[in-house]
Amino acid sequence: MQIFLQLVVSGISVGMIYGVIAFGYQLTFATSKTLNFGQGEALMTGALVGLTTINFLIGNHFGVSVAFILMIPVVLLFGACQGSVVEWLGVRQAIKTKSEAGWIMATIALGIIFKNLAENIWGRDALKFPSPLPEASLDIGGIRIQPMEVAIVIGALLMMLAVEVFNRTSIYGKAVVATSNDRDAAQLMGINTGRVITFSYALSSMTAALAGVLVAPVTLTGASMGAVLGLKAFAVAIIGGLSSGLGVVVGGLILGIVETLTGFYVSTGYKDVPGLVLLLIVLSVKPSGLFGKSAIKKV
Amino acid sequence: MKTSVTTLLAAGLLATTALITGSFAADTIKIGVSGPFTGGSSSMGVSMRDGVKLAIEEINKAGGVNGMKLVAVERDDEAKNELGVQIAQELINKEHVVATVGFINTGVSLASERFYEEAEIPVMNNVSTGSVITKQFNPPDFEANYIFRNAANDTIQSSMIAEEAVKRLGFKKPAILADSTNYGQLGKTDLTNALAKMGVTPVAAEKFNIGDTDMTAQLLKAKEAGADCILTYAIGPELAQIANGMAKLGWKVPMVGSWTLSMSSFIDTAGVNGNGAIMPETFIQLPNTPKRKAFIEAYQKATGLDRMPSPVSAAQGYDSIYLLAAAIKQAGSTEGPKIRAALENLGEKVEGVVTVYDHPFSAADHEAISSNIPVFGIVKDGRVVPAHPEDLDGDKVIRVKPKA
Repeated sequence: MQIFLQLVVSGISVGMIYGVIAFGYQLTFATSKTLNFGQGEALMTGALVGLTTINFLIGNHFGVSVAFILMIPVVLLFGACQGSVVEWLGVRQAIKTKSEAGWIMATIALGIIFKNLAENIWGRDALKFPSPLPEASLDIGGIRIQPMEVAIVIGALLMMLAVEVFNRTSIYGKAVVATSNDRDAAQLMGINTGRVITFSYALSSMTAALAGVLVAPVTLTGASMGAVLGLKAFAVAIIGGLSSGLGVVVGGLILGIVETLTGFYVSTGYKDVPGLVLLLIVLSVKPSGLFGKSAIKKV
Repeated sequence: MKTSVTTLLAAGLLATTALITGSFAADTIKIGVSGPFTGGSSSMGVSMRDGVKLAIEEINKAGGVNGMKLVAVERDDEAKNELGVQIAQELINKEHVVATVGFINTGVSLASERFYEEAEIPVMNNVSTGSVITKQFNPPDFEANYIFRNAANDTIQSSMIAEEAVKRLGFKKPAILADSTNYGQLGKTDLTNALAKMGVTPVAAEKFNIGDTDMTAQLLKAKEAGADCILTYAIGPELAQIANGMAKLGWKVPMVGSWTLSMSSFIDTAGVNGNGAIMPETFIQLPNTPKRKAFIEAYQKATGLDRMPSPVSAAQGYDSIYLLAAAIKQAGSTEGPKIRAALENLGEKVEGVVTVYDHPFSAADHEAISSNIPVFGIVKDGRVVPAHPEDLDGDKVIRVKPKA
């Protein structure tokens, strides 16, 4: 039983990482029906910018924890800028011309460009990210977890909660919700939907960048860190449903837990298989995802 | 009339190029250097290149080889097979290298060497470890094999790891953790076979992907199977995740694995959790002979680094040039077949950093490093030191390949 719980706990912390990235997919999909295939790269650039910032701060005699907190606004700002650039270069034109696939190619291309840029600036080695919390793990009734893993789960939940509160209470958030529900109607009501979409891209990359600095102390930082995570998160977004914020979190947790359990009880060689099988089942039984609202496409 | 002019022009052009290359070849010997100087295995590639440069500098200072200076033509293969192939073709057909040294990654090595074999240009593999590398073009299937190596191959390493864990350290229940690449999976097979020879079956054999960050499932399986040590075949970052994962689970058993446990990406990212990891090494940064002392000091002076990023790669890179230089000198020529013949019957004893090479190669054996040469290193506070200092006592400090 203890082993099972340990596996579940590890699965939750891995799944939460997937969920946060998938949450970023959901943000832009809700408003514009497009998504940033370079989401993994947004996470990676965020983490690397965070690494440079935190090392600079530590170099200037700040403690690691203080430096980590001071770094977060810089990373959020960077993420917002990066997301806006992606929307401006890759998505805006495609939406304007109602192109079906233009944004797919453009966001993939931008992702590759960001990766190459990162390789040239930070090199291709995996780098260690200073951990703001002690690295010794906590022992809770025989189940061991690193403090940073707890921080990932709490940080991710807080972030999603903040976005949710913003959407429900502020006037700008309501514009986002309105655009998600019906873009044309929202536009007729005087909402600048173009700006809402830019904003959702900025927000999406912001969440990715924050996820980057949250996971970096547990994983390693490097130009290639985004590729696998971005892909897994995409599977999560499909399992959970692209139109539901709750769905992607649950989807992430399901995938994370299933992966670690399969690794232990079946074989580590087949760790990635059940997630993909689940993806295929969801696609054939409920294509809009477990929590997704099924949409009827009007032609 | 028109055709004859073109032919004449073409002939003239050919003659000029022949003259240019001819006159160029007269006073320099071009040596190709292919390795990853950027990317995940760059610490090995860059150290190897620095070792190569150091050797070339020394040889040129002492008057070169047969009155000619050595020139390195360096190319970054980024650990990519297809890029390695392009570079091989460029070095052979455009740069007209006399020989090539390098190759860190077994895949790049295997993909590139066909071209050298066809062009009859010798290759000295100085880092990559895949067992099959020197055996691809063995006679009688091929006229002659142009691929040589001065690194400890995986057959040697895996049997050393198994022997160290079972016989010397007395572990009875090893678990194997290997990555899903060719390197990891071939290494896993070699390890399992080596263990079987001693009548030991691994209690668990687990796999993970490059980039995996959570090793909980793999480690718990090993732990539940009652493993008393972990044998690894993987590269730096994932090895660090294993060490860190063990610390997270509060379970610590020794790690014994291939020489990649000495990669700086493992040592630096695992930190204290990496202490105690044991791996076979042909060279440890330790000035225990005058030659090694001079080499380490020259390396530190040239690069400004106190700790070599990969001492094994640097030392093997350095030695590979001395082996080639000796062969070119003996051949009295820069023609590939003659250099190969000289390598296979090297008269001069070559004093390298790793060992003293006394007839290191023969027509049937293209491996300069034998299983008695590497010793075990252990990670201690960010550095690799000898695991059993008595292995390097007295006359064992220089371990020489036994005569065939």
